[in-house]
Amino acid sequence: MHFTALCKIPLTAGKLLSRQTVLCMKLTAVLILAAFLHVNARTVYAQNVTLKERNVSLVNVLNEIQKQTGYHFLYTYELLEKAGKVDIDVKNASLQDALEKCLADKPLTYSIVEKTVVIKPKIPADIQPAISSSPSLPLPNIDVSITVVTTDNLPLEGASVIIKGMNKGVATDLQGHTTLKNVDPNATLVISFTGYVSQELKINNRVVIMVRLSVSISQLDEVQLTAYNKTTKRFSTSNSNTVKGEDIEKQPVSNPLLALEGRVPGLFITQTNGMPGSGVTVRIQGQNSIVYGNDPLYVIDGVPYASQIPGSGVPNPLGGSGGSVNLPPTLGSPLSYINPSDIERIDVLKDADATAIYGSRAANGAILITTKKGKAGETRVDVNIQNGWGHITRTLPVLNTQQYLAMRREALKNDNLIASANPAAAAPFVYAPDLTIWDTTRNTDWQKVLIGGTSQYTNLNASVSGGTNNFQYLISGTYHKETTVFPGDFNNQSGTLYFNINSVSANQKFHIQLSASYSINNNHLPKADPASNGTAGSDPLLLEPDAPALFKPDGTLNWAPNSTGTSTWTNPLAINYNDFNDITNNLTSSVVLSYKILPGLEIKSNFGYNHMQQYDFDASPLIAVAPEKQPTTNRTGYYGYSNASSWSIEPQLTYTKNIRKSKLDVLIAASIQQNNNDAQYFQGSGYPSDQVISTITSATTVFTVGTSANVYKYAAAFGQINYRIDDKYIVNLTGRRDGTSRFGPNSQFHDFGSAGAAWILSKEDFFKKALPIISFVKLRANYGTTGSDQIGDYSYLSRIFTFNPAIPYQGSSSLAFPALFNPYLQWEETQKLSLGLDLGFFKDRILISASYARNRSSNELLSYNLPLITGFPTVSSNFPATVQNTSIELSINTINIKTKDFNWSSSLNLTIPQNKLIAFPNLATSSYSSTLIIGQPTSIKKLFHFGGVDPQTGQYFVIDRFGNPTSSPNFSLDNYVVITTLPKYYGGFQNSLSYKGFQLDFLFQFTNQMGGNIKYSGNRVPGSFFSGASNEPLTVLDNHWQKPGDIASIGKYSSTSATKSSNALLSDAGYTDASYIRLKNLSLAYQFSGKWLQKSHIKNLRLYIQGQNLLTITHFQGLDPENPGNSGGTSNLPPLRVLTAGIQVSL
Amino acid sequence: MKSMNRVNARLGISFAIIFFAMCSIGCKKLVQVDPPTTSITGASVYGSDATAIATMTGMYAQMSNTGIFIGSSGISLLAGLSADEWTLYSGAATTDTKFYYYKNSLSINPAYGSEFWGILYNYIFACNSTLEGLNNSTALTPAVKQQLLGEAKFMRGFCYFYLVNFFGDVPLALSSDYTANAQLSRTAKALVYQQIIADLRDAQNLLVDGYVKADGITLYPSNAPEKVRPNKYAASALLARTYLYDGNWSGADSAASVIINNSIYSLGALAGANSVFNKNSSEAIWQLQPVNAGHNTEDAWLFIISSTGPSSSYPVYLSNSLLNSFESGDQRKTNGNWINSVTVSGTTYYYPYKYKSATLNAPVTEYTMVFRLGEQYLIRAEARAQLGNISGSQTDLNTIRSRAGLPATTATDKASLLTAILHERQVELFTEWGNRWLDLKRTGTVDLVMGAPGNACAAKGGTWNTNQQLYPILLTDVQKDVNLTQNPGY
Repeated sequence: MHFTALCKIPLTAGKLLSRQTVLCMKLTAVLILAAFLHVNARTVYAQNVTLKERNVSLVNVLNEIQKQTGYHFLYTYELLEKAGKVDIDVKNASLQDALEKCLADKPLTYSIVEKTVVIKPKIPADIQPAISSSPSLPLPNIDVSITVVTTDNLPLEGASVIIKGMNKGVATDLQGHTTLKNVDPNATLVISFTGYVSQELKINNRVVIMVRLSVSISQLDEVQLTAYNKTTKRFSTSNSNTVKGEDIEKQPVSNPLLALEGRVPGLFITQTNGMPGSGVTVRIQGQNSIVYGNDPLYVIDGVPYASQIPGSGVPNPLGGSGGSVNLPPTLGSPLSYINPSDIERIDVLKDADATAIYGSRAANGAILITTKKGKAGETRVDVNIQNGWGHITRTLPVLNTQQYLAMRREALKNDNLIASANPAAAAPFVYAPDLTIWDTTRNTDWQKVLIGGTSQYTNLNASVSGGTNNFQYLISGTYHKETTVFPGDFNNQSGTLYFNINSVSANQKFHIQLSASYSINNNHLPKADPASNGTAGSDPLLLEPDAPALFKPDGTLNWAPNSTGTSTWTNPLAINYNDFNDITNNLTSSVVLSYKILPGLEIKSNFGYNHMQQYDFDASPLIAVAPEKQPTTNRTGYYGYSNASSWSIEPQLTYTKNIRKSKLDVLIAASIQQNNNDAQYFQGSGYPSDQVISTITSATTVFTVGTSANVYKYAAAFGQINYRIDDKYIVNLTGRRDGTSRFGPNSQFHDFGSAGAAWILSKEDFFKKALPIISFVKLRANYGTTGSDQIGDYSYLSRIFTFNPAIPYQGSSSLAFPALFNPYLQWEETQKLSLGLDLGFFKDRILISASYARNRSSNELLSYNLPLITGFPTVSSNFPATVQNTSIELSINTINIKTKDFNWSSSLNLTIPQNKLIAFPNLATSSYSSTLIIGQPTSIKKLFHFGGVDPQTGQYFVIDRFGNPTSSPNFSLDNYVVITTLPKYYGGFQNSLSYKGFQLDFLFQFTNQMGGNIKYSGNRVPGSFFSGASNEPLTVLDNHWQKPGDIASIGKYSSTSATKSSNALLSDAGYTDASYIRLKNLSLAYQFSGKWLQKSHIKNLRLYIQGQNLLTITHFQGLDPENPGNSGGTSNLPPLRVLTAGIQVSL
Repeated sequence: MKSMNRVNARLGISFAIIFFAMCSIGCKKLVQVDPPTTSITGASVYGSDATAIATMTGMYAQMSNTGIFIGSSGISLLAGLSADEWTLYSGAATTDTKFYYYKNSLSINPAYGSEFWGILYNYIFACNSTLEGLNNSTALTPAVKQQLLGEAKFMRGFCYFYLVNFFGDVPLALSSDYTANAQLSRTAKALVYQQIIADLRDAQNLLVDGYVKADGITLYPSNAPEKVRPNKYAASALLARTYLYDGNWSGADSAASVIINNSIYSLGALAGANSVFNKNSSEAIWQLQPVNAGHNTEDAWLFIISSTGPSSSYPVYLSNSLLNSFESGDQRKTNGNWINSVTVSGTTYYYPYKYKSATLNAPVTEYTMVFRLGEQYLIRAEARAQLGNISGSQTDLNTIRSRAGLPATTATDKASLLTAILHERQVELFTEWGNRWLDLKRTGTVDLVMGAPGNACAAKGGTWNTNQQLYPILLTDVQKDVNLTQNPGY
């Protein structure tokens, strides 16, 4: 061992900490290797030195002094060897005294820099004046010993040390040390390391040089994670982006994915609804597959994490996360169970270069989540308390009672009908409780009543972290609670415990990192989204404004019965008595072991284990049932139990070598993964009371609705070569072989690969001279193939499931055919091309990055549409078509103002996506002949061309394919207008301003897209009555048809289906511009400073306010443009506007 | 330090060993999974009697659980709405499927009228798949295999019978090969009938006389059978009906005779202990056992109107035209035998009371009747009338009339007998399996009954269009299968 560096421990906390250290180490040791313990468990420090040794090596003596004092030593082994043996006898001496004694009569001297002692040779007296007095004289060449460390005194391995002007360079070893032999003592050295500011310094005849490199603040040098490695934007050959923990922390969101909205070009995120824990759909550079299998790969600390929650199938309001062909994919987002406050950074990898290494799992891109790690230094306690309020962002103007009644009466008049209170009235009478039974003087704004509440938002987080240079830890606990905007006591609560231990052996060769997070989540919501269109009786947008009071005077639910005792409405609060409860326990854990076998050669392995356990419960109590139906209704309970676990092992061998001015990185690795999902879904009935429904054992009849047990295995071997020449030319090659259990035995394996290259033009001398304002230019390109196996488990197998009704048929078990199977399933293939240009101006103060990506997916895996005459609507199949997604991405980062007190930086990103079907053999005869068009997006809608309202009849008419107006178009031939609701472009504009202690950040998000036009909402005809869904948006009053000859924009009101609203709804008029600009996030913080803080031992004190979805600018008429829905335009509960205030204290 | 180095070196070596061991484990093994534990893989289903039987049991269980054979989306309700049997309560929404059936205004968009299409083809897939599995299996007990082949053929015939009657010419899928089936064009109605008849004749030969238990072999004792699996006579019953519809009068005559002449079947009483619709009644040829918790038949659940009157839970009551068609003294209409009523706010609503048990958690006393002897008498009466056997026809017709407390028929020639039989079918088989709707169509009287001014369709508030006698084929299927054409008028 040439060099050593010992632990640096804060003296005040030394004893306490060392005990913790030992404890933690024991834990680690038990987990890994008992033999490892003695390596590190030795850190008891004294202020002074007591030593008595005879004829020992200087190295041993210095080691002993290090042990006793905790001071860090820097020296070269050769230097100490030359100095020979020493005798020493000191008792309780100061460090300086001890050192003086050691080095007396040796050709050595020392200097102390902070807590580091540098041992260096005494410079002979006759040489010293020679430097100053005769600089012109050529000096003899010398050997220089160089040590490169961080500003925290951590050695930097692999830093490059180059003699300026000479084609000569070396890299530092494990201890950050290297030696340059026979160099000109006046030469200049260039020392550089990925992610750090390079330094140039003159040797000045020094033989020992210590260089501290500081972390680069240029965005180009920020570390960027790749699949199994890291690089910087400067040297990356690929297109990827990073969102840092500090930006995530600024957003009051409970799902970290929501913190990415508007911040990453090429990433489009849709939240299913505004309920806590709801589904989140993530698409990276578009939708490659037509239907399913578009999820990116999520990786948390190197371990793949689920992109969908299989769940048990119990009905729930959380909504899906963009579909999967596995089990019912509608239980929200698995990332809801990852605590945003524990996240250090999220890297989004988009192209083949970045994702080929994760192989097929990352065919749709990868999102790498890195959790926070402890840092060396004093024990640090961080407390963050945040509290806030949420509301819906906007309401939709709908008719008030007066307007509503007028519409209804006009409709009845048009139909020659007379409103009646008799439910079985025959023509010309028609049952109309809203006109004849309800109190028509009532006027309720149901949006206010049902979704207009205030939700409470609370987030408490505390963490303790610290450690030594060789051992760091972080323990963090978070409590989170969100309530809802609905009436009733609903909330989502979660508690998360996260810890991370990081340890490196004294010789810096063996490294172990353990991270684990355990969260307990209890989500209690109504069974269905109370704001959702289509939940009969509870659509607050469309509930009649004169509908009855929610409660009777005695406090029970009001069902407003008619004279026969039949309820005239479904009380919208009834749904709130149908409880949904989800209890999820989620464990994510990973261990990374690495060992540096030789300089540059490292063996490493990730071990990961995740386990999500869920219990879901749904109740249908009698209290939520209309009184007249109670005698014939069973109380029902639904119970789901599911487990999803996965483990993965990823052994890797990496080799890094600096060859002159080039750097070579080689990676050989393998990956093994297994997912086990199982679920049971039971239904119970026959409970004695509403109170006991939550207990399955109270049911008199219990039967199994569904059960599943899926195993998925994945294995891959791969290699990567990255070669960087002179920091100018970078080449990156990967190849891999993937295997999956999802296909039949002959199709399990497939080979994929990619190649990427980058050329940093600005490094070329000719460029530097020609265009000095341009500080950075890089051209990058990569191309690769990847695949996908995102299809249901066992789809290649013919499977027949048990079918168990409540009472078995003939008292015997029965089976049912659930789906078609396809034994010929094979890998989907995606070809990804990515081109990019990165520019930096004015010393990188302006950075512009432009990318073009083209993904072509062929042989796509999906549920292929079949006519129902085959027995089923779909079959898992390789789709005989090619789908192309292109994405033009532009981002501009600028540092607008940078002064001592005031800083302002901005970042703008813009994405222009395009989706296109480019080939489909035999499309015309396939089951897609009427839904797909070559050259058009795969999600097109074929619509009629809207004609208007027939002045004679008041009916909507469309223009048929011959150009003639018609009220009864052919649904297969006259729908020639093609539109798409895919965004035309989207992006974000972020600004960050700081003035002294103040910090202001805000992000505008914008999207240009089409969405459903609320003007022709639903299938309802204006004026018809369907209890709970008869109101109309205010636009229905616009110039509507009343009598023959009227030129109108809204058709004839009718209480029957006489006006075909479908003509309008299914025409191009059924869609409207749903573009919007939204102030997605705003954060204002004040950081206190001053002596009083130090006196009260407060390291950091920060007050802040944060807001999410604060302001929306749009012409869209529906509830929310972020999830505008299809024709009809009403949607689910939109994302809430959340405003919070908080305090952050570090001790 | 030296020893540490050695420890580290050892660590490194062991790492390397693990690493390369992993890499060298057979790749195949790493991605091999066992068959799923919650399902049975295709081939093995037909490897044992129990699982093979369970595939057919599953079909009956599904029929009785939910869907088009029972209750609120059942054939009895929807096809009855198309005809003149029901009145839909006026509060029914214009978005309600029932509304479109009732007004004879089915359309492809909004898509109302294709409810039966996909489900029937789903059952047909199961039948085809089962037939293939059974034929390829050598592991089954021969008697079990024979029974199941018979059941599967019977079920396939049963599904095609309704398809062809609701939709006209339909694609004829006879295998489980979805690639071929996805491109099928429509097969002429006559050929579909041929296939149904072939299947049912096979089923007749394969199935046994008695009723088998869930093991597929053992018979229930003849004095207490559970008639919940089709037997030879169930196949005969459908065959008789199919012949009748297809105009093969002698075939219908003889197929019905097979059942009528068998002493295990006899007409039941209109009400009381030996009631027709009781479970395992003497008149029953095939019934479905209820499978939903706390319920008897789903039809009773839907049809029997509570004291609060018609509502979304009880959306239909008997039409005046049906009520008025009963002769005076018809015991089926009176005494709460097959028709009952509820009076709400001075209005009386009549509802079918063939099934009587609609009390939550009441003991199960009734099963859903699919085929019964009464219909066979009427089939034979009609077939005989067509064949010129007037007295035979009268005898059969009078058998049904006398049970209803009615005098012998006054019809004495073929034409008047056919009219009398059509009328008798209306009042005997009302609200059962869309018989009335199918009778109107097959006898060519549908335009007259539905369409004449002031007749049934107008009474329902609709406008008759003769194209409505065929339901529309699912739009998405027409779009997905380029060879599939839509019915006229849609």
